[in-house]
Amino acid sequence: MDPTLFTQLLISGILLGGIYALASIGLTLIFGVMKIVNFAHGEFFMVAMYLTYWVVHYFHIDPYLATLILVPVVFLIGIVTYYLFIRPTLSSSVLAQIFITVGLSTIIQNVVLLFWSADFRSISLGYATDSLVLGPFPALHIEEAMVSPARLIAFGLAILLSLAFYLFLKLSYTGKIIRATSQDRSAALLMGINTDRIYRLTFAIGIVLVGLAGGLVLPVYSVHPFVGFDFVLIMFVVVVLGGMGSVVGAMVSGLIIGVVEVFSSYWIGQENKQVIYFLVFIAILVVRPSGLFGLKEEEELEHIETID
Amino acid sequence: MKPLIDRPGSRPWLKVVPWIVVLALCVLPLIIRNDFYLDALILIFLWGAYAGAWNILAGYAGMMSLGHSAFFGIGAYTSTLLLLRFGLSPWIGMLAGGLFASTIGLILGVICFRLRSHYFALATLAFGEVGYICAVNFRSLTGGSEGLALPIRPDALLFSFAGKLPYVYIGLFLFLAVIAISYAIEHSRLGYYLTAFRENENAARALGVRTGRVRLIAMVLSSFISAVMGTFYAQYVVFIDPSSVMRIQISVQVALFAIVGGIGTTLGPAIGAMIFVPIAMLLRAEMGTSLPGLHMIIYGVILVLVLLYMPQGIGPKLKEKIPFLRSP
Repeated sequence: MDPTLFTQLLISGILLGGIYALASIGLTLIFGVMKIVNFAHGEFFMVAMYLTYWVVHYFHIDPYLATLILVPVVFLIGIVTYYLFIRPTLSSSVLAQIFITVGLSTIIQNVVLLFWSADFRSISLGYATDSLVLGPFPALHIEEAMVSPARLIAFGLAILLSLAFYLFLKLSYTGKIIRATSQDRSAALLMGINTDRIYRLTFAIGIVLVGLAGGLVLPVYSVHPFVGFDFVLIMFVVVVLGGMGSVVGAMVSGLIIGVVEVFSSYWIGQENKQVIYFLVFIAILVVRPSGLFGLKEEEELEHIETID
Repeated sequence: MKPLIDRPGSRPWLKVVPWIVVLALCVLPLIIRNDFYLDALILIFLWGAYAGAWNILAGYAGMMSLGHSAFFGIGAYTSTLLLLRFGLSPWIGMLAGGLFASTIGLILGVICFRLRSHYFALATLAFGEVGYICAVNFRSLTGGSEGLALPIRPDALLFSFAGKLPYVYIGLFLFLAVIAISYAIEHSRLGYYLTAFRENENAARALGVRTGRVRLIAMVLSSFISAVMGTFYAQYVVFIDPSSVMRIQISVQVALFAIVGGIGTTLGPAIGAMIFVPIAMLLRAEMGTSLPGLHMIIYGVILVLVLLYMPQGIGPKLKEKIPFLRSP
């Protein structure tokens, strides 16, 4: 393969992967702590995109600033969702746990469709519209590679936010409590941790993280009521590859999936690329359900999931 | 709670009730002369049977599939393509589609043999999406997103009729057949094995239940019936495209019908279809297409409310509330 093309694809893949990483951290965090798969995760991504879009549209402020301003709003949405839908089903059957978020996702998608129609909406950055040119690097036989500034900014901020969250999880006391609850809920409870509070906080943080990812990609992708579904499928792949519940796993495999996506769309075409990562997805689920960074032994994995 | 032993003679007339209902269902289409209501009836039968197929896997075996649209789509596309390409009657295509779908179901079942609950749901979700992408992208075969139109030339041998009445009776037959199959499963050794597997796999295994095998049987049955319903859909609507037979919304909808009606029960999926199909039809008749997605909002809200307040579903709740319906 031509080194220039290779570099170009690799850069595009990594830039895309950064966004996937940030968006997936919330999903894996929620699974790790609460043992539920949030099938409505993509819808929060989509709602955050819309909110950012409307703020930019009406107040003419910078989309990145708008994304940050909206954090408390998205956090609140997370809290309300937790109380209305998640908390009542935490001790229900697996059926209820799966379909409560499936139902929520259906409701959000169609409410958005009803109010804001199926139109694709997009914004463009007023600044930095020209592609940046990297290189050439004659020593590596690489000619110029083009980078879209909007993608570069989204990637930079996404990585920054992911690392900041990782440090929060590792270094802060609250982060420690979240990790403790994730590892062993009963033990955490016995140590006097208010797990209900931690669940609420975790869920809201997870929603904020995916919301941030949604806001950051608005200058790159158009928003429509079903954009969340396209993204959430990728997030599932990322989370499963990284190991469900592993934050580091989601960050690493986000980048991997970004690169895989760009290369497979180059080789087999834009339309068929999804088939590749779904096959990857099923393959991982089958061969190693605990993923690359899975914390749990496979044996244990099989046994958590007995139906009530 | 169902009594373990049927006490014959306690209320013998109750045995007659199901037959009266069946008879009423047979006569009903003859009384209704209105196409709108006949259409509603056909869709109720279609969705009731399809939800019943989902219920065999999810309700009895406890494996929540989010990819059942793929089997439905396989059925619809197989029979339609065999008809369009080779002039093969959809009656045979229906069987071919069923066999093809159950082979795929078997393979999927073998591949996913270790996956439970959330993981199984995720894998089937991906599987359903692969089906959709294939239907959209293999343009030369499936016609892509433009879909395939079926010829309209009434011929009973080609599963094509001028009026709605024949479709009503075919639908009714399939609907009753699925209910009968569900009933048979529930009251057979297989049903007990499936329930044992669902409730506690290790205990079932320890008691000698070949859990792997019974799970695959449920998978095969469920995918076969789903594909048959796909063919029925294609023959009735005479147009299929990826978004009408392969989309994730279909998988969600079929699950929703069964869950709200009463998952893991013989009649639950049928009750679900009776509740939901009229809602969608009335909304469409009242509002046309001015409010897209409104019926899905209502579906979603009902699903969430049922999961929160009566997770066993409406059917079992009715049974509990109305003493007449309670098992003797």
